[in-house]
Amino acid sequence: MGTFELLLQGFGVALQPTNLMWALVGSVLGTAIGILPGIGPALTIALLLPVTTALAPTSAFIMFAGILYGAMYGGSTTSILLNTPGEAGSMMTALEGNKMARAGRGAAALATAAIGSFVAGTIATLCLTFAAPAVAELAFYFKPTDYFAITALAFCSVAVVMGTSRTRGFISLFLGIAIGVIGIDTMTGQARLTFGNMQLLRGIALTVVLVSLFAVGEILYVASRYRSTPGVMAPIKGQLWMTRQDFARSWKPWLRGTAIGFPMGALPGSGSEIPTMLSYTLERKLTRYPEEFGKGAIEGVAGPEAANNAAAAGILVPLLTLGLPTSATAAVLLAAFQNYGLQPGPFLFTSNPALIWGLIASLYVGNVMLLVLNLPLVGIWVQLLRIPRPQLYAGILVFAMIGVWGLAGSWVDLTIMLVVGLAGYVMRVYDFPIAPVLIGLILGPMAETQLRTALAAGQGNPMVLVSTPLSAILITLAVLLLALPIFLKRLRAHA
Amino acid sequence: MSTDERNTTGGSRAAASTTPKPYWIGLGLMVMGAVWLYNAFGLPQGARYAAVGPGLFVTVAGGALLLLGALLMVQIWRGETFEAQDAEDADGATKMDRRAFLTALVAVALPIVTMGPLGMPFTATLSFVLVANAFGSRRWYLDLVYGAILASGSWFLFHQLGLQLGRFFPPLGV
Repeated sequence: MGTFELLLQGFGVALQPTNLMWALVGSVLGTAIGILPGIGPALTIALLLPVTTALAPTSAFIMFAGILYGAMYGGSTTSILLNTPGEAGSMMTALEGNKMARAGRGAAALATAAIGSFVAGTIATLCLTFAAPAVAELAFYFKPTDYFAITALAFCSVAVVMGTSRTRGFISLFLGIAIGVIGIDTMTGQARLTFGNMQLLRGIALTVVLVSLFAVGEILYVASRYRSTPGVMAPIKGQLWMTRQDFARSWKPWLRGTAIGFPMGALPGSGSEIPTMLSYTLERKLTRYPEEFGKGAIEGVAGPEAANNAAAAGILVPLLTLGLPTSATAAVLLAAFQNYGLQPGPFLFTSNPALIWGLIASLYVGNVMLLVLNLPLVGIWVQLLRIPRPQLYAGILVFAMIGVWGLAGSWVDLTIMLVVGLAGYVMRVYDFPIAPVLIGLILGPMAETQLRTALAAGQGNPMVLVSTPLSAILITLAVLLLALPIFLKRLRAHA
Repeated sequence: MSTDERNTTGGSRAAASTTPKPYWIGLGLMVMGAVWLYNAFGLPQGARYAAVGPGLFVTVAGGALLLLGALLMVQIWRGETFEAQDAEDADGATKMDRRAFLTALVAVALPIVTMGPLGMPFTATLSFVLVANAFGSRRWYLDLVYGAILASGSWFLFHQLGLQLGRFFPPLGV
């Protein structure tokens, strides 16, 4: 069956009334958390995980996809009106978008962000539709060696790219890997690092670590350095639609942003920050109105906003085809699949096409919903910002507690929440990246299984790890990545 | 905070950054690495059926943390700077508010003790009041009401959705 027929069948799933409702719930939730501070898509999905066990997996993932895309839409609203980016991917939008809003062109900025997000989201979903089956087809031939090489490359790029220094990136990564080995070893049944505690036998759940690092760590950190003076909201002025000139200046940045965002999103470690930064830099170089940059150039909103939505679609390619998460949100989505006993990868495309294609089709549907939800209703959304901060953060802790306690009703999990939450606080104070912990935690066990399977097949000879062309290339890339900052420094010193 | 400040991550704010020499982080990582390594020695390292044993990855993780902790300490000694991250409602350059931090910390630690014996709604209400207080809310009686509504409301909602959150208020057996 061709991709097109599969996609049509996917629409058959996504357009069922219940699934449409879940897509709407996800889009609304996603927009809301994109606007609210202190809570992002990864945390929201993690908190919803225990609740969604009662849902069919297709409905749950359709909702999660709405949250993933919606957060990108919502984040731009606060960036533009309040100059406080809701998500890391919206930082660049704030630069020009807030200037536009202060100059009375807020409506145009919001419109180019929303329409740009829609255009980019739709094109990127189209790319996903055709790229994912092709990659999945290739992945059928991957051996454990190849999978290990892929995870090794993901580890290196996450640790090198994220964060201020390689040392700190690798510290975060290995903290995650170290937490990941706790519990029963799946291959031999040996208990590892459980310190005689029965509850640790099942390991430390990703949800607990994620909730603790993101919610608890953030609450402790913001409480300790709280800036209580609220930001000044720029009023939504100007005509609601963009002018002809706005359109003429926006459509190229939208397309360029998509072209940057989609492939970058698929690469481990780049997340949504790097593509938006690249897009902003590119638009600044290419613009015919360089004097407007820094004062509210529409290109500087259109490009990055397109890039972050395209990146959100990009992260789904390695996730769905290889089971490889490239960002914190993707790591939670992977955990969600595992909760249902599903392993994303090439086999999921053949064993559960209704889920995969329903999910992909729902991305098209969700994009339309989000455009409708965000463009005319933006005035209602910003009312969310009126929730007073003390009660908002207090509420986030209540939900974090429910998420952790609801997993197993165990005080051990609550103790882990305290310890890891404190670690999250320290990581914020001393600027350690947080996402590598989650990548290490969820990819560590996977890397271990593949490594041990590969070595067993090669009778313990480590050369087996580079025995296939793909693994040899990927391992070489991983090593080169490690050396990259050193070479760059030398080059600069010589120049 | 203006966007210009956010752009200049280096330099200008270095003076306001926190404790300049956090050797204890490196030390903590080395201790953790040592614990992992020690545990790994008790596990079969491998060679059985030519497969790698369950100890290998533990050894790798422990060894890496040990090395990275030492490396971090060397970097700190050489003058590596640490700047607190900026968050939406937090300014990395401000001084730490110890009272607010400790109040929030108590709110996070409280559930370990009270969640089992006193139930989730009671615990969540108390934590709600504490966090709101940490963020400068001074009307604790109002927060108590908001917290109680949110905590009991979500208990009923999640209970309906099939999440096991324990009894509503265990001392009364309900």
